[in-house]
Amino acid sequence: MKLNIEGLLVYFPYDYIYPEQYSYMLELKRTLDAKGHGVLEMPSGTGKTISLLSLIVAYQRAFPLEVTKLIYCSRTVPEIEKVVEELRKLMEFYTKETGESNNFLALALSSRKNLCIHPEVSSLRFGKEVDGKCHSLTASYVRAQHHSNPNLPVCRFYEEFDSVGRQVPLPAGIYNLDDLKAFGRRKGWCPYYLARYSILHANIVVYSYHYLLDPKIADLVSKELAKKSVVVFDEAHNIDNVCIDSMSVNITRRTLDRCQTNVDTLQNTIHKIKETDAAKLREEYRRLVEGLKEANVARETDIYLANPVLPDEILQEAVPGSIRTAEHFVGFMRRFLEYLKSRLRVQHVVQESAPQFLKDIFEKVCIDRKPLRFCAERLQSLLRTLEIADIADFSAVTLISNFATLVSTYSQGFTIIIEPFEDRTPTIANPVLHFSCMDPSIAIKPVFQRFQSVVITSGTLSPLDIYPRILDFRPVTMASFTMTLARTCLCPLIVGRGNDQVALSSKFETREDFAVIRNYGNLLLEMSAIVPDGIVAFFTSYVYMENIVASWYEQGILENIQRNKLIFIETQDAAETSMALEKYQEACENGRGAILLSVARGKVSEGIDFVHHYGRAVIMFGVPYVYTQSRILKARLEYLRDQFQIRENDFLTFDAMRHAAQCVGRAIRGKTDYGLMIFADKRYARADKRGKLPRWIQEHINDGSLNLTVDEAVQLSKHFLRQMAQPFRQEDQLGLSLLTLEQLESEDMLQKITQIAHQT
Amino acid sequence: MTSLSEEVLLVVKKVRQKKQDGTLYLMAERIAWGPEGKDRFTVSHLYADIRCQKISPDGKAKVQLQLVLHTGESTTFHFANESTALKDREAAKELLQQLLPKFKKKANKELEEKNRMLQEDPVLFQLYKDLVVSQVISAEEFWANRLGGINNTDPSPYNNKQEVGISGAFLADIRPQTDGCNGLRYNLTADIIESIFRTYPAVKQKYSENVPHNLTEKEFWTRFFQSHYFHRDRINTGTQDIFSECAKQDEKGLKTLVTQGVKNPLVDLQSLEDKTLDEGYGICTTQPSTSNANKSVKDSSNSAIIKRFNHHSAMVLAAGSRRGELASDQASETSSTDGNSRDSDFFQPPVKKVKLQEAIEFEDLQRENRPKTVPLNLKKSDRYAHGPVPLQSQQYTTSQDIINSVNYIRHEMASYKPSLTQVLSSTAATSAIAALSPGGVLMQGGAQQAINQMVPTEVQGELKHLYVAAGELLRHFWSCFPVNTLFLEEKLTGHLEEMLQTAYSKFQVWQTRRMMRKT
Repeated sequence: MKLNIEGLLVYFPYDYIYPEQYSYMLELKRTLDAKGHGVLEMPSGTGKTISLLSLIVAYQRAFPLEVTKLIYCSRTVPEIEKVVEELRKLMEFYTKETGESNNFLALALSSRKNLCIHPEVSSLRFGKEVDGKCHSLTASYVRAQHHSNPNLPVCRFYEEFDSVGRQVPLPAGIYNLDDLKAFGRRKGWCPYYLARYSILHANIVVYSYHYLLDPKIADLVSKELAKKSVVVFDEAHNIDNVCIDSMSVNITRRTLDRCQTNVDTLQNTIHKIKETDAAKLREEYRRLVEGLKEANVARETDIYLANPVLPDEILQEAVPGSIRTAEHFVGFMRRFLEYLKSRLRVQHVVQESAPQFLKDIFEKVCIDRKPLRFCAERLQSLLRTLEIADIADFSAVTLISNFATLVSTYSQGFTIIIEPFEDRTPTIANPVLHFSCMDPSIAIKPVFQRFQSVVITSGTLSPLDIYPRILDFRPVTMASFTMTLARTCLCPLIVGRGNDQVALSSKFETREDFAVIRNYGNLLLEMSAIVPDGIVAFFTSYVYMENIVASWYEQGILENIQRNKLIFIETQDAAETSMALEKYQEACENGRGAILLSVARGKVSEGIDFVHHYGRAVIMFGVPYVYTQSRILKARLEYLRDQFQIRENDFLTFDAMRHAAQCVGRAIRGKTDYGLMIFADKRYARADKRGKLPRWIQEHINDGSLNLTVDEAVQLSKHFLRQMAQPFRQEDQLGLSLLTLEQLESEDMLQKITQIAHQT
Repeated sequence: MTSLSEEVLLVVKKVRQKKQDGTLYLMAERIAWGPEGKDRFTVSHLYADIRCQKISPDGKAKVQLQLVLHTGESTTFHFANESTALKDREAAKELLQQLLPKFKKKANKELEEKNRMLQEDPVLFQLYKDLVVSQVISAEEFWANRLGGINNTDPSPYNNKQEVGISGAFLADIRPQTDGCNGLRYNLTADIIESIFRTYPAVKQKYSENVPHNLTEKEFWTRFFQSHYFHRDRINTGTQDIFSECAKQDEKGLKTLVTQGVKNPLVDLQSLEDKTLDEGYGICTTQPSTSNANKSVKDSSNSAIIKRFNHHSAMVLAAGSRRGELASDQASETSSTDGNSRDSDFFQPPVKKVKLQEAIEFEDLQRENRPKTVPLNLKKSDRYAHGPVPLQSQQYTTSQDIINSVNYIRHEMASYKPSLTQVLSSTAATSAIAALSPGGVLMQGGAQQAINQMVPTEVQGELKHLYVAAGELLRHFWSCFPVNTLFLEEKLTGHLEEMLQTAYSKFQVWQTRRMMRKT
């Protein structure tokens, strides 16, 4: 259907539309009009992606000069592929409606592992191996040597791409990962480099967060993306953690040892080169004197996305003399390494800020702040000069140099914690230096600064106001949409007590309590008897799950559950869990029914959907608080309190509730879907917890379902499931939660929709 | 006795029954006992009639074997040969154990089949009621020539019978009971054993390797329950029991399952992440390498349980669907041997595409655009089944066609305008009406229908039943010729005549009733 969104003609590839999709598009359009940033929460399964794509594509067509590119960031590979497929659907609709094929170019970009078509390289299993092998075949000097020595292997796909691929732009169309590979095979071009090259002129780019948020990758891939782009972060409820992860560094003894060998190798290579080709080193020296002027010019003329690891100041300066020659730099690294080793020889926990660390390093080994800041750049330059093929081998020294640059650049937002041993095993020395980022805004700041509109969206972003605070930006729109429903297809229940009135809670004091564990087991057992097909149960942590499973096994609860359903359990091994997941789905598919025991914050809770019969009930055992004893978390909480005036408890609860919401939200993936959401902890009944659930879940929790016993919950569930099992047709939804174009255009419906929008 | 020609599988002498010495015969289809010195059996049970066998406990003075029949009666045999009593009993028991399940299934199957036939065929059911329930002929006679025919001509329902899966909790069902003197007793049934074998082929293999050469069956199961293999929370500490190998085999199986990977790319957690952080970056607090080393015993036993549960569920699931998927498995195997795992990209996309399409679909946002269908609304289903056979059976019209033509006709009717210049002459019209009226030239076929309508439906129904019943009896009657056996002669002279008599009288009754109703 064709929609009119405040004067913008939007092609929407379906015959019907949900009211919330309409209001979502309205808000989105306002955000784009204002050229500002937005935070939009919309329940999963209400067609968020397609609304987003429809509107932005329409906007791009209407104002090609205002918005030149859409950068769509998602989290997982399947999700990226889903987005591209939806886009394909939209484009097909455009072609059908307008009768002309439009010249849109949209493509997905992923790591080499998912795009490589080189027979040898692509057969490697791990992403890092693929990257390393690829590099050893495509590095510039390898190729240069290939000219003189044709026996040296190079990647023919890359060669082919390099010689002809850049001249002709990728023909317009929608390219998913497989399409890129097929195209690459047909042409004999490397799909990965083709995609990387093509994102510069593509209208729509779909890739994962890391390509924008991880400075190491962003610098390579996304640096040159146009300023007039709209950036969308989908499933962004965890975006702060992604930011923090990309900026944090852990250094162990092993890292230092490997770094030591790296430095030795560097030294040897330098020696060798000095004997054979001293000119090369001199050339490098000259370049370093010139400084990073080129990068500076580029940034000033606004071509590049800023890199938080490469701060503005150092661009204006030349690399300091003390590390300019290769030998001096290696000596410098040695000294730095020795210093780190001495720091790791502590007996007690040390926590200090970056300035303290710098002061200490200056006093002990006379390393200045300034050369430290150039470390990362200097090392890159050296590795290029020395023509080192396998970059992957030098990950340790790269890590150390990145650490050096970061620690000397940011006096705030980072903390250094040195732990001589793990908390659980105080007798085994295993010193780790955590250099952890506490301020997610550091990594995302360049994105907000550079791109005109950044939209953060997810199914669970409640409470909305916390995201602008922790990411430090000012949104022009903030909205949370509910799910209009013709039948209440979700049933959140808070089970606070067992049948014996024992309070159910995963809080630390009662964690080992047998009565609680038994009652949790009872809950699962009873549910397994009444819920059809699949049940997913989430625990607060892996250790907690292991303990509970063991004691359920001893008490014979699991055996009783097995009478009703098969049991599958998430393990720490991803491959094993994948297998369990597939078997779980198979068991749901063939009607036997199964239970999946899983962990909040785990991979399953973040990336797997349990649509329809794959998840008829989700049980959340306990409140998934993060492990609060960790020093890193404590430091972060402190930082949040000091810098953003967010109280510790508020943040912890927010964090726990967003994960709980993620978990239970896995079961509902649409209006025809239905599922029970069981919160098995009495603390959920409190207003401060409940209030942090997304609105679309919260509004279905009534006072009658706040503090149920297991039996009461079973009664309510039975009733709910019986109702849901009735046939549900399209006509039942029409006019309420599903609108035709005429219905959408009617006066009172528009009024209703604006009302919905006003509530937010 | 005709039975002497049967194959005798086992003969046990000196078996008492009701305090009488005699000999026990186990034959291909029945078990029989005859008193000593006589040439006929006083006790004879078909295996199909036996529900179960029971044996006296080992310690007892009398060595006995009891057979419980489906009817609830039971027969007890006492093995009286002092020296070999126990051995004799064991032999008989073993043989029965093998034989009974076969016949049990057959009996059940037959019963099921009969039930199904009666339920599916209302005419047959009526016939059954008329003839068997009112005891005109016996049930066996009724089924005698029916089941056979069904069995021979139409074996497919047997083959297509749904495989019964395995309960996920079959191991839970063998709860041990204490026997009072510091021991445990496990009750095993044939079903559980089969479940164990089907779920854990490794155990089956062990069984066939060791029983009966190295171990007796009992010993085998005792060891099974004692093993670490059965108690999965204990860690295998390397004791030499025969099942440690099974555990290893299971481990291997699990590993191959894991390395095989998953077919559905949407659940593959390994390839979920696009770009993992390099080692050393990120906020990860635990290093898996170190935490593995200093795991406590309890931790590893916990993870062993978890592993075992996953494995168990996978095996149960596989056992349930093994047969059905054999073909498809082979297909996938051949495809996977074609290229190594990464090169199977060429095969992967279809699954992936379908899954992706499924994932992005909003069924309720789309107009339902499959062709409309007309629901079949049958008032008399048998009329539908026995309807006239179309001459050109190929020319089916789709529902859509029918809808179209109905719409077309409706449209025609709506826009119908009589063209008054081109009508029939009045005489022709009246003659046509006359011909079409009841009794007219064209309505002669309708006269019979009139009678049909005159008789009330229940009377019709009764007549039909009587007709069918009589037909069935006649069939029995004629099937007795030529009379070459004693049994047939008896049947013919004896109760078949009676039967026909009853049928006649029934018809008589019906006729008088009808007459009465008429007057």
